[in-house]
Amino acid sequence: MAGFSQTQQPAIIEDTTRIVELREVTITSTQKTAKQQLINFFKANSSVTLEEILSRLPEISLLRRGSYGMEPSIRSFTGGQINVLVDGMRIHGACADKMDPATIYIEPINLENLQVQTAITGFMSGSAIGGTVNMKMAEPDFLNVNKITGLISSGYQTAAKSFYESARLNYSTGKWAFRMSGTYRNNKNYRSGGGDIIDFSQYEKVNYSISAKYQHTLYTYFKADLLGDDGWNIGYPALPMDVGYAAARIGSLSMHRENPSKSLYKWQVKIYANKIDHSMDDTKRPNVPMHMDMPGWSKTYGAYTEAELKINQKQRLLLRADGSSTFLKASMTMYQPGELPMYMLTWPDNRKNQSGISAAWLLQIDSTLKLQVTGRTDFISYKLVSQEAKDQVSIFGYPSANRKDLLKNISAVISKKISQKIKVSASIAYVERMPTASELYGFYLFNSNDGYDYIGNPKLKIEKSLQADLSVIYNWKNNRVQLSYFYSSLFDYLTGTINSSFSTMTIGAKGVKEFINIPNASVSGVEGSVVLKPAPAIDVVSTVRYTAGKDNKGNSLPLIAPLKNTTSIRYQPKNFSVQLEAEAASKQGHINIEAGEDVTTGYSLLHIRFGYNTMILNNTIELQGGVENIFDRKYHEHLDWGNISRPGRNVYIQFRVYL
Amino acid sequence: MKKSLMILVSLALICIIVFLAACSKDKIAEADPTEGMTKITEGYAAGASAKVQVYTKETSITTGFTKLYIALYDSATGNRIEDAHIQLTPMMDMGTMMHSSPYENPVSEQAVNHLFPCSVTFIMSSMGGTWTLKIQVHNHMNDKEGVLTIPVTVNEPVKSKQKSFTAAHNGAKYFISLIEPTAASSKVGINDMEIAIYKKASMMNWPADSSLSVILTPEMPTMGHGSPNNVNPVHIGNGHYKGKVNFTMTGFWRLNLDFMSGTAVADTTQYFDVEF
Repeated sequence: MAGFSQTQQPAIIEDTTRIVELREVTITSTQKTAKQQLINFFKANSSVTLEEILSRLPEISLLRRGSYGMEPSIRSFTGGQINVLVDGMRIHGACADKMDPATIYIEPINLENLQVQTAITGFMSGSAIGGTVNMKMAEPDFLNVNKITGLISSGYQTAAKSFYESARLNYSTGKWAFRMSGTYRNNKNYRSGGGDIIDFSQYEKVNYSISAKYQHTLYTYFKADLLGDDGWNIGYPALPMDVGYAAARIGSLSMHRENPSKSLYKWQVKIYANKIDHSMDDTKRPNVPMHMDMPGWSKTYGAYTEAELKINQKQRLLLRADGSSTFLKASMTMYQPGELPMYMLTWPDNRKNQSGISAAWLLQIDSTLKLQVTGRTDFISYKLVSQEAKDQVSIFGYPSANRKDLLKNISAVISKKISQKIKVSASIAYVERMPTASELYGFYLFNSNDGYDYIGNPKLKIEKSLQADLSVIYNWKNNRVQLSYFYSSLFDYLTGTINSSFSTMTIGAKGVKEFINIPNASVSGVEGSVVLKPAPAIDVVSTVRYTAGKDNKGNSLPLIAPLKNTTSIRYQPKNFSVQLEAEAASKQGHINIEAGEDVTTGYSLLHIRFGYNTMILNNTIELQGGVENIFDRKYHEHLDWGNISRPGRNVYIQFRVYL
Repeated sequence: MKKSLMILVSLALICIIVFLAACSKDKIAEADPTEGMTKITEGYAAGASAKVQVYTKETSITTGFTKLYIALYDSATGNRIEDAHIQLTPMMDMGTMMHSSPYENPVSEQAVNHLFPCSVTFIMSSMGGTWTLKIQVHNHMNDKEGVLTIPVTVNEPVKSKQKSFTAAHNGAKYFISLIEPTAASSKVGINDMEIAIYKKASMMNWPADSSLSVILTPEMPTMGHGSPNNVNPVHIGNGHYKGKVNFTMTGFWRLNLDFMSGTAVADTTQYFDVEF
């Protein structure tokens, strides 16, 4: 099954797609591409969260508001600029203040792999200007008939005195296969470098999933998946409030068909639904000027179908059609003793209906030259669905806030093998994205990073971008060096501008910003990765990235991570491994003061990790441990809100038993 | 054959449903125009052969602008009188002195939905004395005139909707009343804002004023913020000023009102509170 994701990604997209395998590979026949060499590193610490894995990828940075709920950013594109999908399904966080990006509702144990696509082909599954993160869910397997297999895992980390317990089980009857998994995490307030305890950084959550698969014929199977995630008492030290609870329910039914001998060699149909209930909580905070409740709801249902066709030996076609409907609502109620409650909608009830089709045409021109042309069009309608919502939005002079848009995306990638060792690929793309519900309808959404209340604008234009990407790969033996450069010219870039005629709503806010389009902006950057295998037992992996962003007046764009390098060396003779990891970021002085940013100093960290596995009573036992931030550095990254220090020295241990 | 039979049956069914629906519509009795209103009093306008009923949409009468609805019936037949001339005279007896207050007679001599809408602005509560309302009826059906004087109990509301000030520019006394929004009508969004301004010319003469301009500044005193895109009330006739007030959330709102006479300031201290 691990090979499955490989066939799903046609060879040519490889340069714009990064797949991180999360599932322990139990079959030896797994295809091993150069890319997967890099991937093994991310499994080094099996207690990691999904966010930690994402943060290791050179294209990805994380916006951090607490020790939980970090928002992924692909090459500095974030939020509404990217797609975050669960197994191809759309899911929308239920917090108007972005406390819950969809990634928090998935645990690594649920996943088979992570697929990260940058802007060039990332719009295949939804119009986006910054790419796609798709979390591919693990599937039940048919490997051991009438036998329960799986693993039980338990871990502890000192920085947040956190426990991490998880288990997954698989059972198959031959025709049927079932998979169950469960995770429990309990984190206390963590200790930052130097010993300060970061208040309100605790969280607790459970995650559980069950899926069943039915092999109908040799080529066809049906699958049903259910996933639940419940988090509570989740602290956000960079925000004025925490989260009381956040609960997600995700379900899907799908049919898969795969027959390599047919021209339609792969076909998949899925229907799905998910909902998230989210509730913020300020009852544990001291000196709250006024108690408030801030619940939010998100409900999505949809369907998609994907097909892969072989036209002839040289041409292939990937097709996708999808549709979804998302309802969002969030409200705020403030309580002043002796007065009636103050109630408003922060996300006035709204529904987004989306339907789109996309196609990718792959052409092998000759043995060294490949071309891929990808296109997508999306029809998206947004509407306010309650009188209450319409009344509220009309305050800003928008009698009708409904809208319909047609979005267009197209790209071309050409890849040339110059020699046995050198491959070059160049791409160009024109992409568009829809403004988000917050950008269209947000009602005094407080952003604690810049201290402004934000107001949506239903008349916003769609954001567009013209992007180019150049990448060179140098391969020799088991070694690989890759260097990529990208440039993105953005039009009708969405940002906030101060409207001084409006009075703030949030107590203590600096002012009110309205979402507007500015004529243009640009984002460009370089990424490099080196994967070396100087000896059979030694792996070296190093990634580096640098991004710069400018608006139309030459000001730096906010939330751009500085130059960052991560380098790891692993020595693994047989069943023991030791890995040394260095992480360094430079100072970020290209800041946007209006967006509340200040200069972030550089830092460097050193981590060490150990692994050992052995067989006891026919079961594989695995022990992992390590020390992160060995020198207990006090630091924060540029994208961390509120300059809250990250964890200091952290000793972890993880014990796993394979059944 | 079978198909056409199905179509025939379906068509027949549709016809019956439509017919039944049309029938039931016809049978709906005309709604009582005073449905949901509170009857304050009833009595006879002696001489006009008319029974007089006075209604309000509120549960009781409170200080400030009060819309009243008068229903007239022929005292002999009990039939509605739809054509009459009604003249109001509100009076406050404070023991040592008496004064009237602003009022609006029914605009038309024809009833509107069987009722005669009119208003009295009670400038104080019954705490200070005794309110009476004289209702003079000229029954056009029989061309007779009569008078009914009723006592009225005026309570002080929780949130005042009646204010007065002595204008800085001319020393005259103005009485301002909040008509809309009320706690019941308020919503988060755009609300109609209506006030009435009367000038005290004498104890018995309270004419409507159209000379002032009004600047509306809503705020939430508890939160320390206002709201955007409000529309200042402007004179629309008979001392009524209409504008828009935007509430960005429920709760306690203060509608600050500044009054100007041209460029001269009349008063800047007035406000009405609305809590919903």
